[in-house]
Amino acid sequence: MTIRDDELIGKLLGDRPRSPGRWLGTPEGRTELAGYRRTLAGLDRLYGGHLPGAAIYWCAVPAPIGRVFVAASDAGLLRVSFRHREESFVDELRGHTEADVVRSPARTADIVEQLRDYFAGERRRFDVRLDLRRVSPFQRRVLLAATRVPAGEVVSYGEIARRIGEPGGSRAVGQALGHNPIPIVIPCHRVVAAGGRIGGYTGGLAIKRKLLRLEGSLAAIAG
Amino acid sequence: MRPVPVSLAELTARHRDGIVGYLVRLLGDRQEAEDACQDAFLRAHRAFARLAPEANSRAWLYRIATRSGLNAARRRARRTARAADVDLDSLPAAAGLSPERREELLAIRRAVDRLPPRQRAALMLRQFEGFGYAEIAVALGGSEQGARANVYQAIKKLRATLGGARRRDAKR
Repeated sequence: MTIRDDELIGKLLGDRPRSPGRWLGTPEGRTELAGYRRTLAGLDRLYGGHLPGAAIYWCAVPAPIGRVFVAASDAGLLRVSFRHREESFVDELRGHTEADVVRSPARTADIVEQLRDYFAGERRRFDVRLDLRRVSPFQRRVLLAATRVPAGEVVSYGEIARRIGEPGGSRAVGQALGHNPIPIVIPCHRVVAAGGRIGGYTGGLAIKRKLLRLEGSLAAIAG
Repeated sequence: MRPVPVSLAELTARHRDGIVGYLVRLLGDRQEAEDACQDAFLRAHRAFARLAPEANSRAWLYRIATRSGLNAARRRARRTARAADVDLDSLPAAAGLSPERREELLAIRRAVDRLPPRQRAALMLRQFEGFGYAEIAVALGGSEQGARANVYQAIKKLRATLGGARRRDAKR
């Protein structure tokens, strides 16, 4: 009967497009599925977070919108922030992790260079690994959908909701983007309100307008 | 887009952090992982000339790292008896959880330590490095089907430690 275990694991790992056998709907099936879920959640908790001896590396980049701070773990970029002072940025990082928080231009050189190029108008897309382990599965889907909006284009919250298969979820999408831990690199500024209105931006609308102007898409926005 | 990495230096710089993280998960010890990574990059240096330009360079590098990691695991198995039991307090991931959930995490952790190294490697590649089965097969050597079987076996074993599992799990 191991075929059922394989079915459950495949479902959880996303190996097969949903093929819920009737058994999965039975109490036994649901119990087993929950067991596997707990197992994988436990594994994630034990091995997915910051590993022993791991550190978070950060650095500041001068930019036309003021200083931009970046932070990365071994797994990838995990935070971009502006409107922060250095101490409060480092405090924020310390508040979220047991890892050491270390200033390191060397460990952040790649993203720093890409951001410089971006603000100089010489780069239209970023190529970095992202560490989204602290982000909920729903928010991750929203953020990854936002990364697929190219520079020079804007889409509506409703369109992102549709793309992730949650039509009617534009409010939740707005919320998820409002808490984007990696703005600019995950271009939530390219997501605007319906009817070509600019919508909101956690970093302030002035910055959203600046970023869109830099990308040449501000003209598409009504207000 | 950046161009495809052309030099070994660029390749290792790009993947170093990922590989150390993978080896920590595989070996459960940061120092051993750093050593294994060093060893892997030396091997990569020797083998780089034979890497076909169109090959999947990430899978190639992880294959070398996996070999170094498995060697380290084998050496350790010879050196020490079974690893000492895990201390609850050494599990930061368990902080703030109910005692029941802490016990569960501990059981999973012990089960991970007992996994055959190849299964552990396959599991970590699938779960934390985002590898597909074809890439895992390259990293471990062997077939795609074998890679998948390794991942599934590992997960079943971890699942069986949780209790509430059906009897046949306990027999396995």
